[in-house]
Amino acid sequence: MMDKEKIKFTDEELVARFQQGDERAYIELVKRYKDRLLNFVYRYLNSFEQSEDVVQDTLMKLYTSAHMYREIAKFSTWIFTIAANLAKSELRRLKRRRVVSIHTMGYDDSEYEIPSEDFDPEKETTSNYGEKQIQEAIDTLPDQFKTVIILREVQQLSYEEISQILGISIGTVKSRINRGRLRLQKLLKDLKVR
Amino acid sequence: MDCYSFDKVISDYIESNLSAKQKQEANEHLAQCPACSEKLADMSQLLGALRTLPRPVTRPDFESRLMARIERQKQQKESPFIHVFHEYSRVISVAAAVLLFVATSLFVYTSVVLPGSPASVPSASIRSVEPAAALPAAAAGVRPEQAGGVAEKTLPDTNRVQNPDYNSRIMMVNE
Repeated sequence: MMDKEKIKFTDEELVARFQQGDERAYIELVKRYKDRLLNFVYRYLNSFEQSEDVVQDTLMKLYTSAHMYREIAKFSTWIFTIAANLAKSELRRLKRRRVVSIHTMGYDDSEYEIPSEDFDPEKETTSNYGEKQIQEAIDTLPDQFKTVIILREVQQLSYEEISQILGISIGTVKSRINRGRLRLQKLLKDLKVR
Repeated sequence: MDCYSFDKVISDYIESNLSAKQKQEANEHLAQCPACSEKLADMSQLLGALRTLPRPVTRPDFESRLMARIERQKQQKESPFIHVFHEYSRVISVAAAVLLFVATSLFVYTSVVLPGSPASVPSASIRSVEPAAALPAAAAGVRPEQAGGVAEKTLPDTNRVQNPDYNSRIMMVNE
């Protein structure tokens, strides 16, 4: 019954159904958001394994805290806020771990990554910029620019949605996006020179 | 408009969010500034590249792993004792190991170090007690010596340790 109808439901309607105990609505939300969230978190963390874990945590949080969602905000904004917060915590944890591993790692040690099928980080994009270069530049951006750039350019969210996710004004979002783009451009130029 | 001012509105220029007046000023600047024109072209290309970055997808077992996690959490909620056990399993194991160590140490201490404790009495003296002979006499109100048996409890404890003939004497009396 629901399988036939699910296309009609908006995200907000699905959450409402899940809040009333319909687990199929939850599964539908998982299907809709797992890859979108992964795309965002992966660009933020630059680690497939850790990013998948963060997306799992985000969707677990949706399962346990769906009752906290109120329809005053778009569901996508709410779920991206959760993912952004978890990704930030994970990045802090990874940075701490990387600092420790610099002292303990041998030359042969490297992180174990299992990228999904059809996903090749080495693949060149349609422009002169390679994905690897772009990712390296994104990683170097200060966090305040990095988050807005990913949400805007990779995730293609509106200024208003970004403003809600990050809890900052639209003016600040616009300013950060502009400065972030200029920084990214400069970083990529520097990378090309090297 | 100068280069610095153009930098401030470059995103709005690309996204066509400038007023007609601002756009005209920007166009006038671009016409006479090759550096800013190049920057604009490069920026447009960069934004295009960002939008066409490959999109990773979750592994095929992503949903089944998630649902398994949810099931585990449900079970933990249903049986809070198991949840607490899982949560503190390491603490519980350490506490159990410490308790075992303390108990073993106490046993060794009382049996080896403390003289006169039951555990330190030689096994031969324990075997020498003949309750079968001593108890019926005691029950009949007869002194053990009169009944021909010697109850171990009538002798001072020091005898057990100090008198080496103690065990053999008892055996002889009983015979």
